[in-house]
Amino acid sequence: MMQYWPLMLKSAGTTLWLSWLAMLLGALGGTALALLRQIRFAPLRWVVIGYMEFFRSIPILIVLFFAFYGVPLLLEVDISPFVAATLALALHASATMSEVVSAGIASVGRGQWEAAAAAGFSWPQTMRHIIAPQALRVILPPSVGVFITTLKESSLASIIGYIELTRTGLLVRDSTGGGFLPLLALGAVYFVINYAISQVGAALERRLHIGRRSDLVGAMA
Amino acid sequence: MTEILALDGLVKRFGSRTILDGISLNVSAGEIVCFVGPSGTGKSTLLRCINGLEDIQGGRISFEGQAVQGNPSAIRAVRKRVGMIFQHFNLYPHLTALQNVMLAPVVVHKEAKAEVEARARALFDKVRLAHRINAYPAEMSGGEQQRVAIARALCTNPHLLMFDEPTSALDPETVGDVLTVMRDLALEGRTMLVVTHEIRFAADVGTRMVFMDQCRIVEQGDPRAMVAGAQTERARKFLGTIHG
Ligand SMILES: Nc1ncnc2c1ncn2[C@@H]1O[C@H](COP(=O)(O)OP(=O)(O)OP(=O)(O)O)[C@@H](O)[C@H]1O
Ligand SMILES: [Mg+2]
Repeated sequence: MMQYWPLMLKSAGTTLWLSWLAMLLGALGGTALALLRQIRFAPLRWVVIGYMEFFRSIPILIVLFFAFYGVPLLLEVDISPFVAATLALALHASATMSEVVSAGIASVGRGQWEAAAAAGFSWPQTMRHIIAPQALRVILPPSVGVFITTLKESSLASIIGYIELTRTGLLVRDSTGGGFLPLLALGAVYFVINYAISQVGAALERRLHIGRRSDLVGAMA
Repeated sequence: MTEILALDGLVKRFGSRTILDGISLNVSAGEIVCFVGPSGTGKSTLLRCINGLEDIQGGRISFEGQAVQGNPSAIRAVRKRVGMIFQHFNLYPHLTALQNVMLAPVVVHKEAKAEVEARARALFDKVRLAHRINAYPAEMSGGEQQRVAIARALCTNPHLLMFDEPTSALDPETVGDVLTVMRDLALEGRTMLVVTHEIRFAADVGTRMVFMDQCRIVEQGDPRAMVAGAQTERARKFLGTIHG
């Protein structure tokens, strides 16, 4: 068993990389969707809401299969398991993140928009200097949760043959005679990674002064 | 006197409800116009129309000779020259007092940071808050926050200051600090529109009082004369009740 640890750790890195990339794309996509939702144009809002509801209701495994088997058929491009997994996880994360970012923007009171408008700030200036910094405090905590979920969901990539952490754990189990220990080790690695992520998230939240009295005032103003 | 603001037959509706019904008013440089009247008569809405926070359904607004309504770039140009002070301060909670004051000059007016900071520090002296310069809004009293909000408006060198009930959300003991600062501004000859229930302040500092009721300007004139005895029954009754 001991000889397989380097392999496990290396594949833990693969899983982290895959989930990080998917999360990054998902956060960017989710933010773009949330900003589109801000535009007061009903058809655009319906499209965004439709997208969100769609990816929220479809099992991620089906999105994954669609990306891996469907996209190559439709677009006649070869897609690697890595790209398919990243795409599927990112689509899923973007739907959740658009909800999270929208809630963050909505948490900033109307008075902030008015003060900014009255002072002559343009919409992008208002977003960047006044709304985003306040929204970020609300957005960060659930985003850490989305990242952890994405990381756990990335184990599904093993099904389309991508050798990430779960797949590696199962391979190790096969070649060591199918014991219980490799599964335990696998679980432990996931736990350590996710625990570390939530700790980093908590540290970031403290840096952003989450829970200060000023948050209450901001929400009221 | 140079005319700063001209309202001509201003009409504002929310849906089918008329809120302002033909408001005409001219304001010259250096005037301090105090708006009084019962709740819900459209005083706040009137100020918000002037800097384009609300669109209007009729009439004309011109600020320093430029039409305000309709044209987004004209509205922004006006907003850069009009400072607004809100009942609930609306400071930016994620920024310190100094950062609050400096943000618009740097971001909107694209001025050099060092210059803005020097001006901002002088303004904190003026509003008597030099010791609170690095405090966050949540760490300040209402009266302090409102004085930061005044400094924030002043730092863009506005040609007109609009106050919407600046002391209504304050504890009684901090009202005086804010009114003192506003008196100083009046002495400097600033042009101000003030919606207020502080009749004593309006009488002392105002150069004109405008009494509004039911979507219209009912009466306007010298504040002291109006407090002593208004022409119209409605104004007399209102000023009587509020004056105690
Ligand atoms: N966004 C809005 N949508 C619909 N009605 C509104 C809106 N804003 C204000 N009103 C209505 O317009 C009327 C005038 O409101 P406004 O706030 O201008 O009154 P006010 O004179 O400032 O009163 P107060 O002394 O209570 O502040 C009120 O009846 C209010 O309900
Ligand atoms: Mg009002």
